[in-house]
Amino acid sequence: MTRNWPLPAVVATILLASLASLATGPIAAPLPHLLSALFGNGPRDAELALALRGPRVLTALLCGASLGGAGAAFQIMFRNPLVAPDLLGVSSGAGLGAAAALLAGAAPVLVETGAFAGGLGAAALAIGCARLARPEDPRLTLILCGVVTGALASAGLALTLVVADPYTQLPAITFWLLGSFARADLGEAGLSAAIASAGLAALLWLGFRLDALALGDDQAESLGLPARKLRLCAVAAATVATSAAVAVAGIVGWIGLLAPHGARLLVGPEATKLLPMSIGLGALLCLVVDRLSVAFGAAEIPVGLLAAAVGAPAFLLLFVTNSRRPT
Amino acid sequence: MNALVLDSLVVGRGAFRAGPFDLACAPGQVVALVGPNGGGKTTLLATLAGLIPPLAGRVERPGAVRPALLPAPGAIDVGFAAGHVVALGRAALSPWSPSLRRSDRAAAHRALHRLGIGDLAERPFDRLSSGQRQLVLLARLFVQEAPVCLLDEPTAMLDPAQAAKVEAAIAALARDGRIVVFATHALAAASLADLVVAVGDPISIGGPADVLTDERLSRLYGASLNVCPACGQSAAATTAA
Repeated sequence: MTRNWPLPAVVATILLASLASLATGPIAAPLPHLLSALFGNGPRDAELALALRGPRVLTALLCGASLGGAGAAFQIMFRNPLVAPDLLGVSSGAGLGAAAALLAGAAPVLVETGAFAGGLGAAALAIGCARLARPEDPRLTLILCGVVTGALASAGLALTLVVADPYTQLPAITFWLLGSFARADLGEAGLSAAIASAGLAALLWLGFRLDALALGDDQAESLGLPARKLRLCAVAAATVATSAAVAVAGIVGWIGLLAPHGARLLVGPEATKLLPMSIGLGALLCLVVDRLSVAFGAAEIPVGLLAAAVGAPAFLLLFVTNSRRPT
Repeated sequence: MNALVLDSLVVGRGAFRAGPFDLACAPGQVVALVGPNGGGKTTLLATLAGLIPPLAGRVERPGAVRPALLPAPGAIDVGFAAGHVVALGRAALSPWSPSLRRSDRAAAHRALHRLGIGDLAERPFDRLSSGQRQLVLLARLFVQEAPVCLLDEPTAMLDPAQAAKVEAAIAALARDGRIVVFATHALAAASLADLVVAVGDPISIGGPADVLTDERLSRLYGASLNVCPACGQSAAATTAA
């Protein structure tokens, strides 16, 4: 089995892909112009391209990195290859928060705040319910509570769709839910990126402790680690990162499932290698999905839709490859 | 104090209770827990590990490091490389770093070599045989700097050759100066321990020759048992209940 460390290659690819994303489009910005615009004063076309596409590239990167990292952390910790970052109902909660804000006619920044708060709220509710239960298997209970809060948030979301004005609010909510990297301005994307980075940094610090949590609570405790506190810490960090991503990009599925599986194929299952790789692959996938979304004709295809259309078959392919891998 | 002391210890979960246990064991001693299924062996181990609180009485553990616990076979099923599973035994020793230290990995490899399974270090744990898994988890006990090692049925589901390797590893843990407490249904293995605790009804604690007698075992397991005369001191069960 090859277990080398192809992270530098992925980082280099991300840099090149980001530059390519910034440089190409209706307003072409040659690379030298773009670089001079990035570091201060460049030609007008390059500055315009940067102003238009910069937030978009940043949103795609932060969204992919967050979903990839959170997905990997959840998959390691819950020892389940099918869990995704919205395990605790974060996506549905964020959708409900955003839809409620859109229903109230709030400004875009308030919609994003509502989505962020909705995501955090759904996860907090799931964690709270799981704590009340005092179960034999805390991991399974947390997953079940996540399913419950996700279902509740989905019901709430459906309600907002029913009461929304079908000519103005309903399309706005629907498009929000389908996801887009083109919504946020530089300030919003930057703030989200900062919040997501804090969550991802916490996950990266947890590192091998996530592996210990995968052994089970009793084992982690007998290794001298505070299992419950560490899991709460990891779940909170992953939830903050996911909520920050969903708040600016809407609901983008599959990336958080796909990136960890691809990363596992490249670097193996250990958290210290898997987490950075999943973060990198997630970011790269979102950049690609974003480019694809504007590649076909004038109308933009929603990224949530594209991520599922590209992600689902790719996931199946990875899953089959992974399971057939000889040891 | 370097001893593990159980002082009128009563253990239990939910409505289940077992005890009281009174026991003192010194470093290097091996204690076998025998008794019927559901008698409280695993609950006693979990209490000694500090995972569940005692219902009454107290446990005095040597040193500040928590006892190491090897769970019943099959409880751990992860895809990490075997060497990583062993190195995680040192998880508590690097409280601020995101990764294990190089020296932890080296210690893991040394422990695997000591048990003669150095070639398994890079193999995924979940692809190993049950005997190999037990040996890998035993190797983790060697790198964990715990003065007390608790093992739950370490030889269950193993063939005689693998079981012998596991028993040799348990003896090596004790030679290093650790207190080893293991639960078992293999009465032959229990008869090699320094102390035997019969967990069930009635509780008896003493040397193997005192506890592993026909009469006491038959009462403990609720079936007529004979100590195998051919095995000398060791006991094997033949039922006629």
